Amino acid sequence: MKKLPVWNKLIYLLTMYNEDRNFDTDKLLKEAFTSEPEFKLSENFTDALVKQVERRFAWKQYLREFAIYLAVILGIMLVAAVLAFVWYDVTVSGWMAFFTKNASLVVGINLLLVFVLFADRVLLRYFMYKASTE
Amino acid sequence: MNDAQLVQQVLNGNNHAFRFLVGKYQRLVTHVVGRIIQQEDELEDICQEVFIKVFKTLKRFRGDSKLSTWIATIAYNTAITHYRKLKRRGELSYSEEPNIILAEKDPGLNQKSIEKEEAKKYLMQLIESLPVNYRTVITLFHLEEFSYKEIEEITGMPEGTIKSYLSRARKLLKGKIEKVARLEQTNIFVDYV
Repeated sequence: MKKLPVWNKLIYLLTMYNEDRNFDTDKLLKEAFTSEPEFKLSENFTDALVKQVERRFAWKQYLREFAIYLAVILGIMLVAAVLAFVWYDVTVSGWMAFFTKNASLVVGINLLLVFVLFADRVLLRYFMYKASTE
Repeated sequence: MNDAQLVQQVLNGNNHAFRFLVGKYQRLVTHVVGRIIQQEDELEDICQEVFIKVFKTLKRFRGDSKLSTWIATIAYNTAITHYRKLKRRGELSYSEEPNIILAEKDPGLNQKSIEKEEAKKYLMQLIESLPVNYRTVITLFHLEEFSYKEIEEITGMPEGTIKSYLSRARKLLKGKIEKVARLEQTNIFVDYV
């Protein structure tokens, strides 16, 4: 038997349905519209996605904790500075003179402390978490 | 668990709730993205991007619309952005007119094996060859059963345009099938005897 080209198959089918079975093109269209397309995601899609989201959630959580730590430390420093103004003979100009004289040292120590805190509270925890989930 | 409870659970960091949400709306996202992008290799990455956006912006969901409508909006916007990017890079051919080309597939079929399912398969190939806006509204209206109002919310297209796309898509497909059927009706049987 001769093989039919694709269009001919479709036409044959439609003709067959139209003539012999009183087939409705609208009905066929409606069925095609409501049929599931053949798009497939991999089987581990949900697992991979949830893992990625868990990591983001952990990263955000660690960052939030770091921000809280930083805010608390800054708050303590601020209170200490206020107490120094109240109880000791400290002036703003004296502070400013000290800061300008030792600017690189003050900035360096502060940056180092912030980085150590960030590494401890965020980076290390995140990488440990990431390693444990891989 | 209703949508509001589900959203609250996800916001509280419940991974099981997020897994449930992904499972519940995976089909919807895959259909919307797949019909717009039509590229298997991009599909998974874009679907993943959609769900990550959902996760990141879930706290902004106020429940004014259904969660499915909200997720479909994110899926549509993400997919259409990628579609435009691919089009700019020339990786997609874009035409407002349908480019209906059917490849010769499965040559082993004969008269006996031709079934209604086969015709449906060919029609689905025709749907895939429609312009992107037509494919999108067909998917949202017929497959996902969104109302005109919801499709308007998802795509930003006016209701009249949506109705017009749906009717034009139907007419295009029907016309194409009937036209070819009329033209070839006699030849096929000559060919087939």
